[in-house]
Amino acid sequence: MESASLAEPVAGIQVEDKGLKKNAITFLSNIVIGVASTAPAYSLAATLGGIAAFVAFGTPAIMIVAFVPMLFIAASYYWMNRADPDCGTTFSWVTRAMGPRLGWMGGWAIIVTDILVMPSLAAIAGQYTFSLFGNSNPSTFDVTLIGVGWIVVMTAICYIGIELSARTQQFLLGAEFVILVIFSIVALVKVYTGDALATSHHVSASWFNPFAIKGFSNFTEAILLAVFIYWGWDSGVTVNEETKDSGSAPGRAAIVSTLVLVGIYVLVAVAATAFGGPALLSNNSSDVFAAMGHGVLGGGLDKLLIIAVLTSASASTQTTILPTARTVLSMARARAIPSRFGEIHPRFLSPSVATLAMGTFSTLWYVVMTLVSTNVLGDSILALGLGISFYYGITGFACTIFYRRQLFNSAKNFFFIGVLPTLGGLILFALFIKSCFDLGKTSSGSTVIFGIGGPLVIGLGALLLGIPFMLLCQWKLPGFFRRKPEVADPALVAASPAGHHS
Amino acid sequence: MSAGIIVGYDGSACAKEAVRVALEVGQAYGEKVVIAFGYELNPVAGEIHDYHAALKELATQRLTEATALAAGAMSDVEAVIVEQAPAQALVDLADERDARVIVVGTRGESPIRGALLGSTPHKLLHLSDRPVLVVPAPDERHSTP
Repeated sequence: MESASLAEPVAGIQVEDKGLKKNAITFLSNIVIGVASTAPAYSLAATLGGIAAFVAFGTPAIMIVAFVPMLFIAASYYWMNRADPDCGTTFSWVTRAMGPRLGWMGGWAIIVTDILVMPSLAAIAGQYTFSLFGNSNPSTFDVTLIGVGWIVVMTAICYIGIELSARTQQFLLGAEFVILVIFSIVALVKVYTGDALATSHHVSASWFNPFAIKGFSNFTEAILLAVFIYWGWDSGVTVNEETKDSGSAPGRAAIVSTLVLVGIYVLVAVAATAFGGPALLSNNSSDVFAAMGHGVLGGGLDKLLIIAVLTSASASTQTTILPTARTVLSMARARAIPSRFGEIHPRFLSPSVATLAMGTFSTLWYVVMTLVSTNVLGDSILALGLGISFYYGITGFACTIFYRRQLFNSAKNFFFIGVLPTLGGLILFALFIKSCFDLGKTSSGSTVIFGIGGPLVIGLGALLLGIPFMLLCQWKLPGFFRRKPEVADPALVAASPAGHHS
Repeated sequence: MSAGIIVGYDGSACAKEAVRVALEVGQAYGEKVVIAFGYELNPVAGEIHDYHAALKELATQRLTEATALAAGAMSDVEAVIVEQAPAQALVDLADERDARVIVVGTRGESPIRGALLGSTPHKLLHLSDRPVLVVPAPDERHSTP
C-alpha cells in the first residue's frame, strides 16, 4: 500500500532518482548476491554432518535432489517479482494472491524462521572462532558467550547500516569459493593417493543415486536439511529487476548461480564423504570443517577454511537480519502489525525497531535453547526446515493463484507459472507434513518436550504461535485484514521483463 | 557560472544549523540554496519496495521541515532527494549543479565514534573536490552570555 504523501509529493521537492539505476547490479554481482545469500561454507558446515547422519553415502544425491523443489519455487519468485518488482517476498505476494490472513502467516513464517536460524549461525560462529585459535573443544558456555556476542555485533552492524560494498562481497565470496574448491580437490587427491583417513572411501556412482538411500524417512529428513542449504538463493532472483541489462541478465544470472551452488555443494559433499566417511561427518556435525581441515589441508591452510566459514556466517547473518527487518517493516507499513515496527532510524536510516527486535528475540531464543538442549544446532536446523518449506511452499501456490487468468494463454505460461510453482509448493508441503510425523518422534532430535520430539515442538510451535498473534492484530488492526485478494495484470505476462519497470 | 550552495539536511540539530548557515551564505553571495537528503538502498537483502517507500517518505518529511526553516529567506531555495549514500549524494549533486560550496552539519563526535557510526562530514571531506563548509551543532557551552 502506497502512502498518500508519496502519491502527491510535497510541492517544491524534487526526487533525483539516480541511486539504483546508476549503481545497477552487474551480471557478476547478481550471481554473487544469489550465491552469497545462501552462504555456502556456513551452510555446509551446519548441515553436512546432519545429512550424513541420515543418509550416509547418499549425501551428494541429496544435494542434487533437494535443489529441484527450490528451482520450482524460484520460478514463482521470478514471476511474482515481475508482478510486483522488489515489492518483497512471501508476505506481500501471498497477501495479494491469497488474502491477508495467509499473507500474514507467510510473513510470520519468514520472521520466526529467521529468528530460529540465528542460534545455529551464532553457534557455528562461536564454535569456529574457538577452532581458529586452536581450541577444538570449548565449553557450551564459552561458545554461547561468543555466539551471543556475534549476534550483538551483527545486529549493531545492521542497525548502524554498515553494508559491505559489492567489491568486498565479491572478494569474500571468491575467497570462500576458492578455499572450498581447494579443500575438495586436495581431499579427493589424498583419498586416491592413500593419504586420507583410515575411514576414507573411493567415490562410487551410487553416492549420486537417490534411490540407493535406505529408508524414506531418512531421505525426507535429509532433504529437509538440504532445503536449508539452498535457502536464500531466492534473494538473487528478487534483485534481478534492477540488473543493468534486465532483459537477458536476470535469467542467466539465476541459472549460473544455480549451477555454481549445486556444483560446489555436490563437490564438497563428495570430497568430505570420500575423505572422512559419513561417520566422521555425523560425529562432528557441529564442526565438520574444523574436524577435517587439518587432515586435508595441513597446518596453517586449515585456518583458511575456518576463516571461510566465519566470513560466510557473517554474510549469512547480514542476509538474515536485513530481510527479516524489512519483512517486519513491510508488515508494519501495510498496518498488519503495529506501525512502531516500521520506524526508520533518523540517522542510520535503518529499520531500527525491526532490527533491534530481531536481535533481541534471536538472543533470547539462543540462550533459552542452549539452556534446554545440549544440541541447539541440530534441533533448530531440523525445525527450520519446517518454516522454510511452509513459506516457500505457500509462495509457490500464491504464484499460480495470482496468475490464474493467464495460465491457459500459452503452453509456456501454463508450464512456468502454473505447473512448476504448484509442483514446488506440493513437494514442499508434502515434505512439511511428512517431516511433522518424523520430527515428532522422540528420537528425532536431542530434546523431547511433552513426549514429542523437540524439533517438531520448536518448528511447528513457532509457526502456530503466529495464529494467536495474528488474531490479536486482526482485533487491533482490522483494516489490513479486510483486504481482498487480487489477480495479476494481464499485461505483465505479455510485457518484456524490462518493459514495465522504468 | 557557479550555481548555488548544496546543504545536507537530516533533521539533526547540527543540520538545522547547517541550513541556517547555508541560507546566510546564499544571501551574502546571492546564490541559490539547494537542500538535499540522501539515502542509499542496499538491494542485497531483497524486500526493498516498502523500505524504499519508507525512506522516501522520511526524506520528504525532512525536506518539508527544512523548507519551512528556510521560509522567509532571501535566497532561492530548492529541496532535492538524492538516492545515494549521503556523502556521495552531496558530492554528485554538487558536481551536477557545479555548486560553489557544500555545507553540512557536524555532531562533533570523537573520530572513533564517527568512524564506527559513519560520519558524513568526514566522508565528504575525502570525496569532495569542492570546498566543504562544516558547521558544528549549536552548543550552549561555547555560546557567549
